[in-house]
Amino acid sequence: MTNSSVSWRSDWLPVIVFAVLVLTFPYWFKLIGGYEGLDTKIVIWAIFALGFDILLGFTGYLSFGHAAFFGVSAYTTGLMLLHATPNVIPAMLVSLVVTALLALAIGFMTLRRTGIYFSILTLAFAEMLYRAALSIFSTFTGGDNGLTGLPTPTLFGAPMQGATVYYLCAAIAIIAFYAARRITKSPFGLMLRALKSNQERLQYTGINVSGYKLCGFMISAMYAGIAGSLMVIYEPYVATEFLHWSTSGDVVIMSVIGGVGTLFGPMFGAGFMLYFENVVSAEIGAQWLLVLGLIFVLVVVFLPGGFVDGGRRLVRTVRRRLTPGETDARTESDRVG
Amino acid sequence: MAILDISDVSVHFGGVQALQNVNLAVDQGSIHCIIGPNGAGKSTLVNVLTGRIRPDSGQVTFDGDSLLGVKPHDINQRGIARVFQTPAIFPELNLIDNVTIASLAKRDGRFALNAWQTREDMGPVIEKAEERLLDVGLQDKRHDEARHLSRGDKRRLELAICLASEPRLLLLDEPTAGMSRHETQSTIDLLRQIAQSRVTKVVIEHDMHLVFALAEKLTVLHQGAVIANGRPEDVREQENVIEAYLGGAHL
Repeated sequence: MTNSSVSWRSDWLPVIVFAVLVLTFPYWFKLIGGYEGLDTKIVIWAIFALGFDILLGFTGYLSFGHAAFFGVSAYTTGLMLLHATPNVIPAMLVSLVVTALLALAIGFMTLRRTGIYFSILTLAFAEMLYRAALSIFSTFTGGDNGLTGLPTPTLFGAPMQGATVYYLCAAIAIIAFYAARRITKSPFGLMLRALKSNQERLQYTGINVSGYKLCGFMISAMYAGIAGSLMVIYEPYVATEFLHWSTSGDVVIMSVIGGVGTLFGPMFGAGFMLYFENVVSAEIGAQWLLVLGLIFVLVVVFLPGGFVDGGRRLVRTVRRRLTPGETDARTESDRVG
Repeated sequence: MAILDISDVSVHFGGVQALQNVNLAVDQGSIHCIIGPNGAGKSTLVNVLTGRIRPDSGQVTFDGDSLLGVKPHDINQRGIARVFQTPAIFPELNLIDNVTIASLAKRDGRFALNAWQTREDMGPVIEKAEERLLDVGLQDKRHDEARHLSRGDKRRLELAICLASEPRLLLLDEPTAGMSRHETQSTIDLLRQIAQSRVTKVVIEHDMHLVFALAEKLTVLHQGAVIANGRPEDVREQENVIEAYLGGAHL
């Protein structure tokens, strides 16, 4: 009884809290200076960052080319809307399949290397796709102008605008969060964490390391693909910057400031960064990028676990202050540990 | 009856002959020690057995099947578990997770897309992992992160991981390297305890105390070649062994 209630709390409570947070977001976001549309963008980037964390936080591979999946999926959705049907469901499904196949190909080549070599290889692939979109594929992609003139996407005939887009994105984000938690807690997720911890031991324990790596990479890429696709449904236009390396860089920064390996952290990081870029920048003027850079540096130096780690430390400190009797026991056990 | 059969295996790196026509048969259920001075080719032999190095010539068979060209993870799946010189564990994971990984590898094979299974589905697997932790005496620390363990306990954990894959042959590469006298003795006791099971053990070792405490059969490697092979008490009387390995001093 106690056991099942504990697992209920750890399994479902975070998902329910997250769902409430996301579904009420448009209401309270206005109170802190947010505006309509930005909330949708934040949720989309949160999905992107969540998937990125499955790779960086759990598998330990720092991809610097996730723009490839975000961008290619965005272009695929754009082309589907333009040439096939304005219905979002086929567009999203085709984008997801294309992203998965692309991840299979890129992952197959890049995952043979680790560390900085992996990062540079993924960056190289993403940049090649970016250049290709601007040059040899420009008849399809619209070249430097991006893909324009897309029809308003529809879902079962209803036009995807305003709140409809938001709640589609919110529903997908909630499912994505539930799935990410479930995956990371599964035997598969345990293998990913083991892979990050000691690849050689895992191999000599009878596990085909490459298979798990490739699947982890593909799952992460598919999250990026879903986000890229939603971005075009939110705003029917494909910008070339979706494929640009700065998109890959943004998701890395979001994850790091939010807290790598916590799932919630990178999503919070996404919200923080977009809020900063669009709301706070209006207050502090043109130097907002400088301030953001400074925040990034301070977090990396003083809070390597990101905002989530900062929050945990704060809660611990407050608890200690509130219950002085517990203080001694805790410091004692800290010293022993 | 030999479970592991090494015949005429040769390996060279550049101009160095690391192994030279090595012949060795390990009997099912025995504890077979391999000793030799530094550079004798012990580690090369381990790497050949676990699939990291492919020999230039010769054959290695385990339970009748060739191991040449088989990947390390498949060699483990066939029943050879390896204990490394420096304890190889998953430092950031807790002890139960460390061992659960091996029992999952036993249950699901080298790859399974079990991304939708819950902790409850892993119940029997985790139970098994707990039993192995009990076997090596680490059950009290099962929720600790592995990196906080002492070196001796890391070795115990690694043994638990290897036992959880239910191997038919356990390959131990200098299991007491870098250990204190006390830790060495406790490792010997542990290995003796495990010895009661039917798992065949091949022990590469430096520590004579451990070798003569455990070995049922002893092979001496010197400059990449087998110079003696047999019962420990016979081998240590052989002139060439005393000459080559023990520098003329009697044991």
